[in-house]
Amino acid sequence: MSLLAPLFLAGLAALVVPILIHLTQRTKKEPVPFPSLMFLRRVPFKTTRRQKIRNWLLFLLRSAAIVILVMAFARPWMRNSLVGTATLDRAREVVVLLDRSYSMAHGERWDRAVEAARDVAAGLGPDDRASLVLFSDRAEIAYQPLDDPAGLMSAINRARRGAGTTRFAPALQLAEQILEESEYARREAILISDFQRAGWSAEEEALLPEGARLVPVDVGDRETANRAVTEVAIDRGQSGSRERVSVLARIANFGTEVANDLEVSLDLDGQRIDSRTVDVEAGGTTVVRFQPFTPPQREALGTVGISEDELPMDDAFRFLLSPGQTLSALILEHPNAPVGESLYLERALGIGSDPVHTVSRRSSTRLDPSHLQGRDVVVVNDAPLPRGTAGRLLREFVLGGGGLLVTLGQRSTANSWPTEFTDLLRGTVGTVVDRLDDRGTTLSVTDFDHPLLELFRTPRSGDFSRARFFRYRRLNQTGDSEWDVLARFDDGEIALAEARVGEGRVVVLTSGLTNSWNDFPVQPVFLPFLHQLTKHLAGYAPGRTWFAAGEVVDLDVFPDMESSGVRSGVVASSGDYRELVVESPSGTRSVRNTGEDSRYLTLEEQGVYRVRLLDDEAGPSEIVAVNVSSAESDLATIDPEELASAVTVSGSSSGSTSFSATLTPEERERRQGLWWYLLVAALLVLVAETVLSNRIQHAAR
Amino acid sequence: MKTSQFLDPKVLARIDNLELLARTVVDGFINGLHHSPYFGLSVDFAEHRQYMPGDDIRRVDWRVFGRTDRFYVKEYEADTNANFCVLFDVSKSMDYGSKEITKLDYGRYLAACLSYFSRTQRDRVGILTFDSAVKDYVPSSAKHLDIVLHTIDNLEASNPGTIAGPINDIAEILTRRSILVLISDLYEDPDVVVDSLNLLRHKGNDVIVFHVLDPAEIEFPFSDAAHFQDLESGESIPVVPDTLRDQYLALMNEHMNTLEHRLVTSRIDYCRFDTSSPLDFALFEYLARRHRLARVR
Repeated sequence: MSLLAPLFLAGLAALVVPILIHLTQRTKKEPVPFPSLMFLRRVPFKTTRRQKIRNWLLFLLRSAAIVILVMAFARPWMRNSLVGTATLDRAREVVVLLDRSYSMAHGERWDRAVEAARDVAAGLGPDDRASLVLFSDRAEIAYQPLDDPAGLMSAINRARRGAGTTRFAPALQLAEQILEESEYARREAILISDFQRAGWSAEEEALLPEGARLVPVDVGDRETANRAVTEVAIDRGQSGSRERVSVLARIANFGTEVANDLEVSLDLDGQRIDSRTVDVEAGGTTVVRFQPFTPPQREALGTVGISEDELPMDDAFRFLLSPGQTLSALILEHPNAPVGESLYLERALGIGSDPVHTVSRRSSTRLDPSHLQGRDVVVVNDAPLPRGTAGRLLREFVLGGGGLLVTLGQRSTANSWPTEFTDLLRGTVGTVVDRLDDRGTTLSVTDFDHPLLELFRTPRSGDFSRARFFRYRRLNQTGDSEWDVLARFDDGEIALAEARVGEGRVVVLTSGLTNSWNDFPVQPVFLPFLHQLTKHLAGYAPGRTWFAAGEVVDLDVFPDMESSGVRSGVVASSGDYRELVVESPSGTRSVRNTGEDSRYLTLEEQGVYRVRLLDDEAGPSEIVAVNVSSAESDLATIDPEELASAVTVSGSSSGSTSFSATLTPEERERRQGLWWYLLVAALLVLVAETVLSNRIQHAAR
Repeated sequence: MKTSQFLDPKVLARIDNLELLARTVVDGFINGLHHSPYFGLSVDFAEHRQYMPGDDIRRVDWRVFGRTDRFYVKEYEADTNANFCVLFDVSKSMDYGSKEITKLDYGRYLAACLSYFSRTQRDRVGILTFDSAVKDYVPSSAKHLDIVLHTIDNLEASNPGTIAGPINDIAEILTRRSILVLISDLYEDPDVVVDSLNLLRHKGNDVIVFHVLDPAEIEFPFSDAAHFQDLESGESIPVVPDTLRDQYLALMNEHMNTLEHRLVTSRIDYCRFDTSSPLDFALFEYLARRHRLARVR
C-alpha cells in the first residue's frame, strides 16, 4: 500500500491525545467524602507517569478512529489492487493515424489504408476507445475519442485524401497528447501510411507516452517509381517591343530506371503551346525549355504536364501566366547637365526583363503633369528639384505612392531643395566632402534588414565596399522627422537614407551616379542595387504564379479584384470589405468576407481556385493555381519499425503494458477510493466509542 | 410480598416512626420464625432434675412428686430477664452512605429492631452512644424502650470518634452483666478494638459486635481521580482509585479478617453487615448468638 499524501501521517501525533486522556486521571474538583482515610493513607501515592492506561477498549477505539482518519486523509492506494482496474486493464485506447497525403493516391494505397482503418474499428472491443486522426503536413482529429465504434467507422468513411505532404510529427504529437490524457491500460497508436522517408526527420520531436506503443500499418508497396514536374519558371524577354516568354520546367525521375522518351507538354488555357520529349536519368532531373512565345495580354492558366503514372497528382504543374509588368522611371537632370550625365543610370535600368523598365529623361525645369503620368519612380539626378506647379505635382506624386530617388552631386546646392519639399527631404544639402586625398572612402551598410538591402545581406551577394567614393555631400537633417539611414561613409556622413512620405518613398544618395565622384556605377553591385532600389521605390511586388497545397492566402490582399498591374497586391482600404465567392478545384463554393476571419483561405486542394466578387457573377475571376509539393513525389520509404522505435519509449513498443505502469498514483488512488471506506470505518468506530463512553460514564454514576 | 423484600433497608428508610419500623421488622421476623428451629428459646421448659438440698422449694414440681413420690425440680432455658444494651458508635464516619441510607441510619434501624426484639424477650433494654466520649446513656430497664427508641431517633453523627476511650468509660458505667451489642464501623486498630472489648468481656458481659460498613467501603467502586476527604478529620488526599483499589481492598479485607479472627478468638461475636443487607440478616445473627449463649449457659 502506498500513500498519495504521506505528510498527513503527521496527524498520527494526535494519538498523544487519547494516550494522555487515558493515562491522566481527571481529578474531580469537589472532594469525595469518605468515612476514613485510614487505609488510603497507607497506600503510597502514584503519579500519572506510573499509571497505566485505563479503559483499554475505549482507548483503542479512540486511537483507531484517529489512525483511520489520518490514513483516510493520507489517501492510500494499493499497488496490487484490482479495484476499479479490471475494465481498464483490458480496455485499449486506440488512436488511428490515417495518412491522407497525396502520395496515398499512388495506386490503391488509399483504398488499402481505409480498409486497414476499418479493420481496426471492427476489431475494437466493447471497452475499447478509439479516435481518428487524419494527417498530411498537418494533423486534425477527425473523430473525438468517444466510446462509439460506429462513429469511428463513419468518420473513416468520410475521410478523403488531400493534397498535402507527409509529416509524421504533427500526427504523432497529437497521438501523444491523446494517449497522455488517457487512463486506459493499453494505449496504442496505429499509424496507417505509406511511410515516405520525406515525412520523417530525426529532428522532429514526437514521443509517445511511456507504455504506449506504435503499431505501424504499411499500406505502401515496393514500387517507388514516380515522375513529376517539380518546378516551373517563366523566363521573360523582349523581342523588339514585344514580350516573349519562355517556360522552363524541371522534370524529376524518382524511380530506379531511366525514363525514356518522356513527353513533356505546355498548355496555355487548354491550348497546347509546345511539347518536348526528354530522357530523365534514374534519380535525376532535367530541365525542359519550351519554345518562346508571346504571352496573351491577360492572365492565362498554364500547365506543364507529363504522361500520367501511378501518382498522377504530380504529373501536371499549373501556373498563372500574367502579362509582363513594367516599371516606368523618369530621370530629371540638371538643365546644364552634359549628355551622358545619366548614362549609367539609363543603361542599368534598361537591362532586365522582370520587370521591364521604361526610362525617359527630362530637365528638372521642364517638368509638366503629363511627364508624371504612369510613372512609378522619379530620379532627380544631381539636379534641383522642380519648383512651382511642377514641384507641387512631384510632391503629390510622392505622397500618392510614387518613388523619388535624389542623388547629390557637384550641381546640387543648398538651393536645390525648395522649401515646399522640406517635409519630404527633411533637411538641406550640405557642403561637399572631398576624400580624394584619402584615395576615396567606402560606404558601409548599416541596415541589412531593410527590404532594399536585404538582398545583399549574405556574403558574395553584392560587395558595396569595393566602390570608392571620392566626393559626397553632407546631408543636414532638420526638423523632427529624421532620415532612416541605410548606409554611411567611414566618417559617419550619410551615404544612403530613406524616408517614407505619405504613401510614397524618398531615397537620397549623397554621392552622384555619374562616375565622377565615385566608381559605384562600374561596380558589379550597382546593377542589382539599382534594380532593387527602383522596385523598392515603386512598391513592386511580383505576383505569385502558383501556390503550394496547404498554403494560406489572405483574400483581403489577394487578389485585388478591382485592378491589376504592378500594384495588384496593394491592400484594399480598411473598411472596404468585399464578399467573395471561392470555387475550389473540386467545385465546392464558399462565400468569404474579406473583413472577417474567413478571408484566410487554406488551399487544401490541388488545381485551380477561382475567386470572384459575390455580386458580380458575370465579372472576371481571379485564378489561383495550386500544385502539390514536390517533396511528396519522392516515394522512398522509411522502415516502419525504425519510425516506431524512434517515437516510443524503449521497451514499451511491443506488447501491452501493465496498468500499474500506465496509471498515475493519483488515478489509481481516485479509482480505488480507499479513503471513502476509511471514513466510513472511522464513523463506525466513533459511534462505537460514543456508545461505550456513555456506558462507562453511566456505570460510574 | 417476601419478607426479605419488606425488610430492605431502602424500603424501611421511608418509615419515619422508629417503633413502627422496629415492630414491622421484628413482627415480620417472628412470623417468619414459626418454621425456625430457634422457636421458644427463652422461657420454655428444659428438663427435670432431682431435688438437691438448698434448692428453692418453690421450684419443686409437685405433680411429678404426686406421681412418682420423688422430689424433682423444674428447670427452664434462657429464663434470663437479662440486660440488653446497645453501644452505638455515632462518630462522624458513621454518617456515610454511598446509597440511600447511611451507616448511621442502618445502625439506627438495627438498634431499634434489636431493642424492640429484646424487649419482646422481656429483657431490659438500654442504649449508650459514644464518639470520642460517651454521649448518651439510657440505662437498661424494662421500661426504657420508648426512651431508647427516642434516643435512637435523635442520634446525630458529628464528631470524630475512637473506641478505646469510650469503652473504658462504658466499662465503668455498666455495673451489671449485660448483653452488649456494639454497632460501629470500627475504624480503629484491631488490637485496640479487641483490647477494649475484652475489658467489657472480662467483666462478664456478652459482647456482640455488629460491624456496619457501606458497600463503597468494601468494594471501593470509585473510578475518577479525586481528593478524598476524611469525614472525621476533614483531611483530604489525592486519590487515583484505579491505582489504589487493589491495595485498599487488600488492606480493608485484612482489617476485617483480623477483627473477626481476634474477636472470635476472644469469644466476642462478630457480624459484618453492609448497609445494603436486609435487616433480618442482622436479627438472625443476633438470635443465633443468643441461642448459642443460652445453650452455653
